[in-house]
Amino acid sequence: MGLEEKFPSGILLTSLEKVVNYSRSMSLWPATFGLACCAIEMMATGGPRHDIARFGMEVFRASPRQADLMIVAGRVSNKMAPVLRRIYDQMSDPKWVLSMGVCATSGGMFNNYALVQGVDHIVPVDMYVPGCPPRPEMLLDGILKLHEKIRNESFAEQGSK
Amino acid sequence: MASDTELFVEGADWETVSDAVTDDILTVNMGPQHPSTHGVLRLVLQLDGEVVQRVDPVIGYLHTGIEKNAEYRTWVQGTTFFTRMDYLSPFFNECAYSLGVERLLDIEAPERAQAIRVILMEFNRIASHLVWIATGGMELGAVSLMTYGFREREHILDLFESQTGLRMNHAYIRPGGVAMDVTDDFAERCLALCDLLGDKLGEYEDLLLENPIWNGRLRGVGMITVSDCLRYGITGPLLRSSGMEWDLRKAQPYCGYEQYDFDVPTDDAGDCFSRFLVRMEEMRQSMRIIRQAVDRLPGGPTMVADKRIAWPSQQSLGPDGIGNDPAYIQHIMGESMESLINHFKLVTQGFTVPAGQVYEAVESPRGELGYAITSIGTNRPYRVHVREPSFVNLQATNHMCAGGLIADVVAVVASIDPVMGGVDR
Amino acid sequence: MTALEDLRGRVLAAFPGCEAHVAYGELTIHAPADIVHDVLAWARDDDAVRCELLADLSGVHWPAGDNEIERQPATTGWPAHRMERDRGAIEVSYVVRSLAHNHAFRITVAVDDTQPRLPTATDLWATANAHEREVFDFFGVEFTGHPNLTRILMPDDWVGHPHRKDYPLGGVDIPYDNDKFIPSPDRRGLRQVIE
Repeated sequence: MGLEEKFPSGILLTSLEKVVNYSRSMSLWPATFGLACCAIEMMATGGPRHDIARFGMEVFRASPRQADLMIVAGRVSNKMAPVLRRIYDQMSDPKWVLSMGVCATSGGMFNNYALVQGVDHIVPVDMYVPGCPPRPEMLLDGILKLHEKIRNESFAEQGSK
Repeated sequence: MASDTELFVEGADWETVSDAVTDDILTVNMGPQHPSTHGVLRLVLQLDGEVVQRVDPVIGYLHTGIEKNAEYRTWVQGTTFFTRMDYLSPFFNECAYSLGVERLLDIEAPERAQAIRVILMEFNRIASHLVWIATGGMELGAVSLMTYGFREREHILDLFESQTGLRMNHAYIRPGGVAMDVTDDFAERCLALCDLLGDKLGEYEDLLLENPIWNGRLRGVGMITVSDCLRYGITGPLLRSSGMEWDLRKAQPYCGYEQYDFDVPTDDAGDCFSRFLVRMEEMRQSMRIIRQAVDRLPGGPTMVADKRIAWPSQQSLGPDGIGNDPAYIQHIMGESMESLINHFKLVTQGFTVPAGQVYEAVESPRGELGYAITSIGTNRPYRVHVREPSFVNLQATNHMCAGGLIADVVAVVASIDPVMGGVDR
Repeated sequence: MTALEDLRGRVLAAFPGCEAHVAYGELTIHAPADIVHDVLAWARDDDAVRCELLADLSGVHWPAGDNEIERQPATTGWPAHRMERDRGAIEVSYVVRSLAHNHAFRITVAVDDTQPRLPTATDLWATANAHEREVFDFFGVEFTGHPNLTRILMPDDWVGHPHRKDYPLGGVDIPYDNDKFIPSPDRRGLRQVIE
């Protein structure tokens, strides 16, 4: 769906945007990008108690081409940074990035030579979830806020990423 | 491809045909982002058809510089760093570090603190093995094991949260004891949890022990002998599944393990299935230890009495759950200047540890977790090196995978159970 | 303690050039760099010692400089390269463990930090492979005879050896002025600079 991004945004496409955004938000498929401790909490979010399948997101796609959302869960080291960027580039539009945990958001407690101090130095981030590690409920809260954000996006904004 | 020979391929003779046609070794990269490599592990496979000729693990994608960062923090703050290394067994990291620092300080944590440490560590062992079953099963295709494993683990994490405040990465075991006392219903909760887990482990055994797919994928895969294990420095369930009964809790007991009666499970086969059996049995033995420890949980303080070392804040269960004890705050703010100064210095500068070098090892769910701590007599560690079992165990990947099929690589890496946070530190 | 004293006696009898030091319940052997490989081989092969497992191989950097360590009772018996440091040294420790006899001890060797070079232990224990690569990566110690001495945890094109004391911790500078007024989040623009 690349054609609609060429139209000027405005009243013309509002209803279409609403429908499209609603369906995009209702089945965001995450790409597996679990790195460290936050990955375990992300897996716990997919577990039976905090069930992420309620939101249609339990299919963590291994291939980035099939995924919409990259949850960067964990600390990104300097060696991993080019891999992260490559996976992000391989994801097809529309795509969103959720930075889970303080290490992905800002380097966390590890303010040193080895880590990228915040994954937004490498990829554009749509939602930041703090915590070390964030509880599954916190991650779900971040995901729900991301759903709201997606529902309020216009086509032009999504295409300019 | 030779141009003027005709080849008739019937399917069963691919070996002869492929040798005639081509002699290539295909190099395939698995990871670091891959659903089946247990974290950010990169495996460079050299394949001849589907047979693996060589596996080279490439690590370092999660290197965090924790060892160097700890040199710039006080001794107690080190606990918060080291607990995030092997993030599936944080209590073991904290306990090994705290035992090492206590040895340098020449103090011993009170008995109640030791018993609490043992109980929490054994529950952590069970939780770590549950994650192993969950992720190992998912990687091998038994996706529903993921839900079962994490379902049981949530109960254990509830217990951790009620005692330490956090589900993971607790920073609860500190040099001198533990950060705060356990709640009044701790003993009942532990025993109830043990009963629950005992039933659920029976479910896993029913599902997996006789399962032909599980047996087919794990039996005979990833064989390693005891002498090769020792050459590669492998300890933990891998060494025990090859036949050698070596467990640091029995050989060099710490935290009062010599008082508890438990067996060390071993198996002779040395393949992935025997590692599965050893880990299942280890979980049952952990529950045995927990029951004994809860039975004889002694009373008394949970932090060493020396005011120059003990973490100064007094906490009590207030109406909002937990908080600073109002009587203590009244004391340091209103009554005693020395106590205030002591509290301030201990929290900002920390205590000093006499100069020395120790190596302290505990038996973590993956093997021998050792801390080589060097102090020069100041309030910061001079150097801490962590001997992580997963870092060492991964070296045997090539030995165990070479000659097998690609699908067996996944089974072998799952049975080694590496935690990349510990491998890369 | 007597088992440690017995071990200490054995080591000193076999290698008189070493110094031995017992502290905190542990035995540490300081060996000169030219005989350390023989000491390790003896530790593995001698029947009474029989250390089948190399538990740990790590490094500590004692840089040159006039920052002497404060004399305290705990540093008696410490080798000179730690106390007076007119030349920097990198100290590599090998912790060897015997499963048969259930003992463990540490063998340390100090090398000059400008050109650190040691013989490899991979011919004795295959586990030394990854450990020596790590010590090379973080301290720059070259292990002669190692089959594949490349960086293991840092990226391959990294410059510098991070765990040396002259290598900075890195990271970003966080300006934190705790006497300035910081508005609450709903009154604060995103990424506003607090002046």
